[in-house]
Amino acid sequence: MGREVSESCVDSLLTEMVSTYCNRFYANKPELAARRIEAIGYQVGHQLSERYTMERPRFTDHLEAIKFICKDFWSELFKKQIDNLKTNHRGTFVLQDNRFRWLTRMSVDPPQGESQDNSADGENKAAQATSMHLYFPCGIIRGALSNLGIPCAVSADISNLPACSFVVRIKV
Amino acid sequence: MIVCVAVVGHQNNPLYIQSFTEADDALKLHHIVHCSLDVVDERVNNPRKSGPTLNETFLGLLYPTENYKVYGYLTNTKVKFIMVTTDLDVRDADVRNFFRRFHAAYVDAVSNPFHVPGKKITSKTFAESVSTIVKSFGFSSAI
Repeated sequence: MGREVSESCVDSLLTEMVSTYCNRFYANKPELAARRIEAIGYQVGHQLSERYTMERPRFTDHLEAIKFICKDFWSELFKKQIDNLKTNHRGTFVLQDNRFRWLTRMSVDPPQGESQDNSADGENKAAQATSMHLYFPCGIIRGALSNLGIPCAVSADISNLPACSFVVRIKV
Repeated sequence: MIVCVAVVGHQNNPLYIQSFTEADDALKLHHIVHCSLDVVDERVNNPRKSGPTLNETFLGLLYPTENYKVYGYLTNTKVKFIMVTTDLDVRDADVRNFFRRFHAAYVDAVSNPFHVPGKKITSKTFAESVSTIVKSFGFSSAI
C-alpha cells in the first residue's frame, strides 16, 4: 500500500526548511539551527521506523537493526540501499551511500573574485551549506534507531561528494 | 467478544486502554492487562522453542483466566498490545488478523505530527477505528 511522493517536492521542502532555519529563524546561531533541523529529522525517523517495521519480526541485536536501516529503510526513503557498511564491532557503524539522493543536485556557487583566497573561502562556505542539509537525514537515522531501542549519535561526512557517509555511534 | 484492548509503551506506560463492556468492570480489566505485562516480559526474555517462532511480533495466548483469555503482541519498537477476550475458542488466525489491523491503526495514530511520542493517544479517529476493529473481530470472513 505504498503512496507515491514527488521527489522534487521533497527536495524543495528540504532546501526550503534548511534555508528558513539558517537564514531566517536562527541566522546568527548556526548550531541552534542545526539542532532544530536534526530534531525535525528525529521525529520523522521515529515515525517512519514505526511504520516500516510493522510486518517484520523483532530484531535480536544492533547489527540486525542497522542492516534494516541500510536495506529496507533506505530503499523506502531513497529507492536504493546503502552501498557500504563498515563497523568496528564496538558500537560504531559507517553507512556509506555513493550517490546520496539529497545531495545530487547540490552545486557550489562559483567564487566571486579570482584570487585564491576567495575561492577557498567560497568552498568553505559551500561545504558548510551542504553540511547543513545533512542534519535532517542524520536526525532521521537517529530517530529510527532510538525508536528501535538503540540510543546513538549520528554524524555525516562529505569528503567526496556526492558520496556521503553517516557515522553511527551507539551509546552504551 | 473482546472486552478490553490496551496499548502499552516501552517503559510500561499506558498509551491507550479501552474496555468494551456494559458492566462496571473496567478496573478489573485494567488489572488483568497490568498482570499480563509481566507475562510479556517473561515471554520475550525466555522464548520457548515450541511456541510461536522466535521474535515474532505476535506473542500468542499470554494466559487464560476463568472467564477471559489474554493475548499479546510486541512490536519492534517495544510497544505492547494487549487484548482480553471472553471467547474461549478463538482461532489463532483471527487474533493475528486483529492485531495486524490494530497495529496498523496505531501506526496511523502515532504518525500524526501532532501526536507526542510516549504520550497517551487521544485521537478520536484512533478510538473509532479501534472500536470498528474490535466489533468486526471473529467475522474475518466478512471483511
